[in-house]
Formats: sequence, structure tokens, C-alpha cells
Amino acid sequence: MNVLLIEPDYMLGTIYKEALEHAGHTVTWRQNAQSAVHATDTSTPDVIVLELQLPRHSGVEFLYEFRSYPEWQEIPIILHTLVPEQALQDRQKQFEPLGVTQYLYKPMTSLQQLVRAVNEAVPLLA
Amino acid sequence: MQTSADERLLRAVAEQLKLPLLQIARAAELATTTGNTAQLETMSYIADTALRLIDGFLLSAEYGGQESLTLVPVSISSVLQDTAHKLMPLARQNNCDIEINLSGKYGPVMAHQESLESAFTLLGYSLIEARPAEGHRHEVILGAHRSASGLVAGVFDNQPGLSTDMFRRGRALYGTARQTLPTVSGANGAGVFVADSLLKAMAAPLHLARHNKLAGLAVTLHPSNQLQLV
Repeated sequence: MNVLLIEPDYMLGTIYKEALEHAGHTVTWRQNAQSAVHATDTSTPDVIVLELQLPRHSGVEFLYEFRSYPEWQEIPIILHTLVPEQALQDRQKQFEPLGVTQYLYKPMTSLQQLVRAVNEAVPLLA
Repeated sequence: MQTSADERLLRAVAEQLKLPLLQIARAAELATTTGNTAQLETMSYIADTALRLIDGFLLSAEYGGQESLTLVPVSISSVLQDTAHKLMPLARQNNCDIEINLSGKYGPVMAHQESLESAFTLLGYSLIEARPAEGHRHEVILGAHRSASGLVAGVFDNQPGLSTDMFRRGRALYGTARQTLPTVSGANGAGVFVADSLLKAMAAPLHLARHNKLAGLAVTLHPSNQLQLV
């Protein structure tokens, strides 16, 4: 599966990329929203793993931008973020139409759980 | 300091600690899963930096920003060398270059060595972690130069506006509301705030400065007169 990983932290990005590749996925890793959009333009991913706390443009801005393209409407997006669910409650209504498949709170999500979420993302949407 | 500001700072420190602990936890898990132990050395430095943040926070909470540390003659070049040595693995891991730049030779300055090292380590770590984007090589410089008011020593970098932003985030913890969704991961200013508190306890508050055309966060230290007379 082609995974687009949007993770701003260099060390965590390295770790998540290696873990997903170890599980058999092909991973394109980007550290900001703009280059993630460019990466999707070059090669359409099967699933996106997105941190909301990004430099310059936030993950929320990325979501709006991303879903504004008709050809990218069906790509599942997993929120994998340091932002606690509690802090996102006000934004739940915002996220619903944006096709967020799953929310994972990063500090409480093991590599194994992340890999499982990615493995399950496409069948979930189908 | 008012209670609400204390709570805000405590929360910022807790949030700031999330990232290093998360990095350690996931790197350990990766090592278990794949057998890749390449990051073990870096993990120990990350843990050390997190401990410095906790220690610095406890010290600043205890003294409440009072000038309380006993100052002794300290070699600034050796403090900067030691700090660079500690930050090197973190910088390497974050795709960042780290250098020391001393414009000349300096005699000892009056400081508290351990707190000065902790402050520079926290400032360096904050700048390294706050790197704004990929594709632009980040350089962090530990530097010192003479000025009319003393020896200016600090941490500088080549990302325009980053150190100013970090300084603002650190100072914001003294009073204004925190952001619920910060734009830069792991850079909420707690490290800068604690560094500032440690430096204040040496009667040398943190300030913005420039070094070789680079912007950064620095402290102005006074030469040790006693040793100059010897």
C-alpha cells in the first residue's frame, strides 16, 4: 500500500517510516502540508497519515485543501496527532465531512497500532 | 507569579515533555520490532535534555525568578563546547548542522556553569526541534562575541524569525493565553521559558541578539574581574 506520511518531527518521521516499511508498505514522508499536496500530485497514495500540528499551514488547512480536489475525495485519512481528542471536540463537526477515517492520539498509539490502522484503512472505506 | 501563570507553565512543560518521551518510546519499540538500535545513543541524549527541562523547571519554581545562584568564574568556550557535544546527536537526528563560532579568545565570565549549560542545551534543543520545514538545511550556531556591556553568548540559527518566534512563545508563558493548536510541533516555548528562568537566577536574562548576521537567543555575561587581576 502507498502511504503518505505527514509528520513534521524528523526523528518521529524516520521511526514511523521505517515501521510502516517494515510492515510492507511503500512510504512517502513529508514534513509540511504544501509538500504533501505536491507529493500527492506526483503519486496518489492509498492512505494518508496526518499530524495536525504542522509548520506554516496546519493539518486542518491541509484537510480542506486536499478534499477540495475531486480526485482525492476517497483517499482515507488517519489523524495521528499530538492534539488530544478533547481539544478536537469543537472541531468534530468540521472533520466529519472531510472523510477522516480514524483518529489516533500519538502518545498512546504504538507502532503496531499505527500499522494496524493503516492496514485496515482501505477496507474500512471500501 | 500568579497561579494561573504557574498552571500555564506547568502545562507547557508537560506538553513539551511529550515529544521527547514519545521519541524514546517509539524508538525503543522500533528497536524491539526491527532490531535497529542505531538510535539508542540519541535516545540517551533526548532523555538527558528532558531531565534538564524538568530540573530547570523545578529550579525556576523554587526560586521564582530571583537572582539566587552563586556565580563563579566559568570558561564560556568550554560551556559552549560541552553544549555542542550534547546537542550533536539530536541535531544529526533532526537533519540539522551544529557549529561553534567564537570570535576571539575570552577570559572567564561569572556564571553558574551547570545552569548555563542547561539553558544553552534547552535553547539549542528548542531551535533544533522547531525547524520549520524540510528542504532547507538548518544550521544552529553556538556562538560568543564581545559587546560594550559584556560577553554575549548564545544560540543562533539560519531560519529567519525562528528564534524571535521561540522567544515570543517563551515570554508568552509569563502571561498571555496559550494556543490550543500550535503551528510548530514540540515548540511551545517551555524550554525557552525555563532557560530564561535559569539565566535570570544568574542575574543575566535572556535576550534577542545577532551573531555574524544570524539571529538568536543570548545572554550577556560579565568577565570575572578577580581572575583578570591575577
